[in-house]
This record gives sequence, C-alpha cells and structure tokens, in this order.
Amino acid sequence: MDVTVWSGWIAGIAIGLFVVLHFWLIGKPAGCSTGYGNVCGMLCKKVRYYHEGEYEKKSNIKLWFLVGIPIGGLLAALTSDNAWQVSFDMGMYEQILPGSDAAKAIWLMFGGMLLGFGARLAGACTTGHALVGGAMLNPPSLLAGAVFFASALITTQLLFNT
Amino acid sequence: MPKSHQLPPIKSASLTLMNFVHAYRINILGVIMGIMFGFLMSRAGATTFDFHAKMFLFEDMQLMKVIGTAVVIAMLGVFMLKKFHVSAIATGNEVDFVKKPYQQGLIAGAFLFGVGWAMTAACPGTIPAMVAEGKIGAVFSLIGLLLGTLAYGILQSFIANNGSYKDAFKQ
Repeated sequence: MDVTVWSGWIAGIAIGLFVVLHFWLIGKPAGCSTGYGNVCGMLCKKVRYYHEGEYEKKSNIKLWFLVGIPIGGLLAALTSDNAWQVSFDMGMYEQILPGSDAAKAIWLMFGGMLLGFGARLAGACTTGHALVGGAMLNPPSLLAGAVFFASALITTQLLFNT
Repeated sequence: MPKSHQLPPIKSASLTLMNFVHAYRINILGVIMGIMFGFLMSRAGATTFDFHAKMFLFEDMQLMKVIGTAVVIAMLGVFMLKKFHVSAIATGNEVDFVKKPYQQGLIAGAFLFGVGWAMTAACPGTIPAMVAEGKIGAVFSLIGLLLGTLAYGILQSFIANNGSYKDAFKQ
C-alpha cells in the first residue's frame, strides 16, 4: 500500500524544477483541473459550456497531461519498496469515515464533487493556483491558495478533533 | 502509382513516425509531463492520504515542505525565464506567463475546494495517480470530481441561456 516517499525538501526541489521545465518546454503554465472540463465535454456532448471557448478543442495539452498522471503514478507504485496492491484502506481517515464501504464511497464522491465544482468556480486547483500561480506571484492565485489551505485546515481540524 | 514515389519500408516507416511525432508534439509532451508529474506527486507523498491529514493536524509537515520548496524553486526559475526572455521549445514563442484572473466566486469556490480536499485527502492532480496506485477510494473521488465539474458546466450553460434549458443543452 505504502509508496516510497522522498524527503520533502528533495521532492519539493524536483516539483519546482518540474514547473520551470513545463514553462520552458510548453510555454504555458501547468494545470490539472481544466483537463477534467475536456473530459466532461467528451462524455456529455450536450453541455454547451464544455464545447465553447477554451474547451472548443478538447484534444489539447490539458487533456493529455491528465492522461499521463496515472501512468506516472503506476510507475511510482511499481518502483516502490512495497508491492503494488489494490486496497480500500484510507489510513487515518478510517477513524472518522463511516464504517460501511458504501457510506465511505458516498462520502468520497461527495468530497470529489466539492473538489470539482470548487476548482472550476475558483478557476484552478492546488496545482494551478497554489503551486504555479504562487510561483508567478499572481495575487488572485495567492488569495485562492490561502483560502484552499485555510478551509481544508478548518475542515480537517473539525473532522479529527471534535 | 509510379515506382519512383515509393520509398524503402524502413525509411517510409521512420518518416511516418517523425511526421506523427512532429504533428502531435504538444500532446506527446503533455503525456510525458503528466507522467513526470504523477511520479513526483507520488514520491512527494501527495498521493498518501495520511500526509494530507497530518499536515492539517500539524503532525507531519512533509507536504508543507514539498509545496513550500517547490514554490520557491519555481519562483526563481520563472524569474530567470522572464529575465532572459527564454522561448518555449515546443512552440518557439516566448514563454507565456498567463495568469489566472480574479473571477467572481473565487473565494466561495476555493472554500468548497478546501472542504473537498479535507474530505477526500486528495486534489485533482493527485487523484489519477492514486487510482493507478490501486487506491479504490480515489476511484470514487474521481467520479465525484467529474460530476462536480459537470455540474459547473451545466450551471454555466443554464446561466448563459438566461435560465432556460431549451437551448442550453443543444450541440
């Protein structure tokens, strides 16, 4: 279950260099959550919003970036010290999540909906706002990043400490 | 077809491949960058549920170190790229540091996102990597993520058509 994890400093330097490499190679900021809009447009032909403007052409870098992420995750898991395995274990979250598997699934789906809706309403996710936007010192991104952290901090504290 | 237009099979195949790689170079680079990103997220611990909870409970600052270091390094890199007017390899144009604008609902959206982050211990960039690592929980987060994104699109289509769904869902 557990994947190999590098020291936070090393991983941070690697991700920082990754952001710069992305700028240098592609010429545009890296982002994750916009690609999900492309997927929605491909799945639902009738939702007009995902067929207009920046979503008009769906086979773009945002979509293919998203395709690459699981391949990278799989490579990381396969090269970890522990063997690859399927599991529904949520670690520390087992203490606070509902006991049955169905209730856990519904909880996670609801959380996922908040992630998806919130990311579109805010314009980007942790990668686009906190990481890349923070690196460009873009004021709206810094504000969004601060609210991401504050709201997740309050929610986690409420979940585990009350 | 005249014989003179035919090339040896190996040369023909290699030309086809080169043509394909050139035509789709942006998308191919996108996949490669995605692979790197997924791998680094996993190695950074961002695909492990516990690190998210521990960061917000102030028990283990692994992810805080990661994002803090990454932002500082990326900031220095962006500064250098700007200073030397570096052009992008894939397009040949100068790097476009397009900034996400302030949009209405940013704070509300960021608040909802944070609640979702604490509930799923994941963010949109790490969920696909978690799924590939065999974490079943992330599959449900992914379904929710797509539904949430879809809900926003439906809402926007609805608003753009003045609350009428007659034309909102036409192709």
